[in-house]
Amino acid sequence: MGDPTGEPGSSMHGVTGREQSFAFSVASPIVHTDKTAKFDLPVDTEHKATVFKLFSFSKPHMRTFHLSWISFSTCFVSTFAAAPLVPIIRENLNLTKQDIGNAGVASVSGSIFSRLVMGAVCDLLGPRYGCAFLVMLSAPTVFSMSFVSGAAGFITVRFMIGFCLATFVSCQYWMSTMFNSQIIGLVNGTAAGWGNMGGGITQLLMPIVYEIIRRAGASAFTAWRIAFFVPGWLHIIMGILVLTLGQDLPDGNRAALEKSGEVAKDKFGKIMWYAVTNYRTWIFVLLYGYSMGVELSTDNVIAEYFFDRFHLKLHTAGLIAACFGMANFFARPAGGWASDFSAKYFGMRGRLWTLWIIQTAGGLFCVWLGRANTLVTAVVAMVLFSLGAQAACGATFAIVPFVSRRALGIISGLTGAGGNFGSGLTQLIFFSTSHFTTEEGLTWMGVMIVACTFPVTLIHFPQWGSMFLPPSKDPVKSTEEHYYGSEWTEQEKEKNMHQGSLRFAKNAKSEGGRRVRSASTPPDNTPNNV
Amino acid sequence: MAIHTLLFASLLIFSLIPSSREGNKGRLFSVLQNSLDVTGKPVQDGVVLEAGKDMVTIKWKLKSSGKVDADATFKTIQVKLCYAPISQVDRPWRKTHNELFKDKTCPHEIVSKPYDKTPQSLDWTVDLDIPTGTYFVRAYGIDGDGQEVAYGQSSDEGRTKNLFSVQAISGGHVSLDIASILFSVFSVVSLLVFFVKEKKKAKLEQRE
Repeated sequence: MGDPTGEPGSSMHGVTGREQSFAFSVASPIVHTDKTAKFDLPVDTEHKATVFKLFSFSKPHMRTFHLSWISFSTCFVSTFAAAPLVPIIRENLNLTKQDIGNAGVASVSGSIFSRLVMGAVCDLLGPRYGCAFLVMLSAPTVFSMSFVSGAAGFITVRFMIGFCLATFVSCQYWMSTMFNSQIIGLVNGTAAGWGNMGGGITQLLMPIVYEIIRRAGASAFTAWRIAFFVPGWLHIIMGILVLTLGQDLPDGNRAALEKSGEVAKDKFGKIMWYAVTNYRTWIFVLLYGYSMGVELSTDNVIAEYFFDRFHLKLHTAGLIAACFGMANFFARPAGGWASDFSAKYFGMRGRLWTLWIIQTAGGLFCVWLGRANTLVTAVVAMVLFSLGAQAACGATFAIVPFVSRRALGIISGLTGAGGNFGSGLTQLIFFSTSHFTTEEGLTWMGVMIVACTFPVTLIHFPQWGSMFLPPSKDPVKSTEEHYYGSEWTEQEKEKNMHQGSLRFAKNAKSEGGRRVRSASTPPDNTPNNV
Repeated sequence: MAIHTLLFASLLIFSLIPSSREGNKGRLFSVLQNSLDVTGKPVQDGVVLEAGKDMVTIKWKLKSSGKVDADATFKTIQVKLCYAPISQVDRPWRKTHNELFKDKTCPHEIVSKPYDKTPQSLDWTVDLDIPTGTYFVRAYGIDGDGQEVAYGQSSDEGRTKNLFSVQAISGGHVSLDIASILFSVFSVVSLLVFFVKEKKKAKLEQRE
């Protein structure tokens, strides 16, 4: 639950796709339904919804869900709006391949920082204003495309537009104030996946808008500038909708003011220390850079690639490119589901193998995409690559919550930032120089995905083992309590600050696999379903 | 799921249409006869031409030094605007390939006319969507099957002489700039108005 009191890292709680659900406050893990509350959906004692009804717009829970994922998706639309129009823009602005590549890098770099700041903004202003502020203040950056006259302007504007991808944080935070932690995993995973779809929608939308404007009589070099008004208007519309229809908390907007100062905050420095010194954090940062990262890179290059290599019309290339991003609709949740399914039988080892297989398969399909010589093979390879990369994103966040309990927020944030960083790096190496043609770049990107997925084999949990090694034989170290308890010092344990971690550890025993699950089912082991 | 299947199906259908370029594959530029004499001179030498405004006088005829019936198979003449090597640097989408179907040197068509034995001349105004760059003019003689059989160009083989430069339109308009500023201001102002209004309302309610 996005704790309105602003416990460090709390804005990232629930961001993971398929985490086991646990209360982050002192309340009992068993959910009591509040029957006196008058909401369309059943709610708990905090008035957070306990049920996720996808096609409802009921106030405030489902309305929040839809406002939230659509705003996030809008930001994806505007961040990648330039990509399908590059064949026109590059002629108008006289861009070189380096300029186009640098602009792509710039478009994903800005949000590395803005996402870190966004957590604090949500803690200060609440997620509703956090989202509205970001979306409406980034509208001018989208409109300023009409002023761009050269490479420097293009790169700068794409950089500024990229800041709005921090709506990811406000989206997840807002959801966690509205939905009970039993279902927050599914809710946030769906929201993240559907938000990422914006990267696909834009590949379809922008060429069509451009075509309509051209037919209305504008010249090519003016039409693309006018086309950018559409994502700009979407920003304004969504901002206003969020402000008028949204609310911060189930009971209204002002409760946050009353609640501040209640919970003792954990120290940011300590949490940071535990996040940074856990080697698994850095492996996931690398891994996400080669699942989410390559997804973002491909969003930037794929339309231009199909346009140039297969001599397609702009909107045909856009249609094909859209299929890549749109696969997020089900691919990301599917990855999380696959991880959960394998965990049922093989525990954490199953999750690690699932991640490795899916992400490596994605990498191999990417190599195939780079080597495809006919249009049909290229499209098939692209679709399979998209499924692999996006399912890997879902599978990654199915494991991240087990890396640490105390520093989950920061680790999730670092992993997310790793995605953007990986994207920038990949675009810089493979798609910004004359050294590689785009098809060579795609091939080498695929090779790099396979290589950078190998470190999954190094992830070892003493209590559950790794891909190849069994759990530790040491009777103390091989318990979940020891692993999660080791994040607290003795003094902190004396103050009972680690109770949340201990409860988490108990419920996490199911990651031991089928043997453990059938052997003992703790009485308060809450089922991990919607 | 259904949406995805639909998209996949529709793009498979789309893919069948343009992928039928198999017929022309393999035709090389190097086997074409250089039997046309082409000149492309801007109205003023040494001046950068403005797209949409300035003109280029293009002339083409059969080379007198060539074979007598070199033009026997010509049905159409296609005159195109081509990039000089300097405008191809760091721009792989303008690359010169020997395979004609892959070649991207001459993407802009100036005119396509039925072949006329007499020398032809055309005063062509540079199109609005021509990018900034350095260019020359090339004419292809095309036979009844739509295949190129001969060519001629206004520059030399290395494409370094007789070039002219074009400056593209910016694409920007004052009205566009004004609209952009207006919407940006609207976005920021409406946000601030909402924020201030709600803060005031909260303060009032707190006092009660």
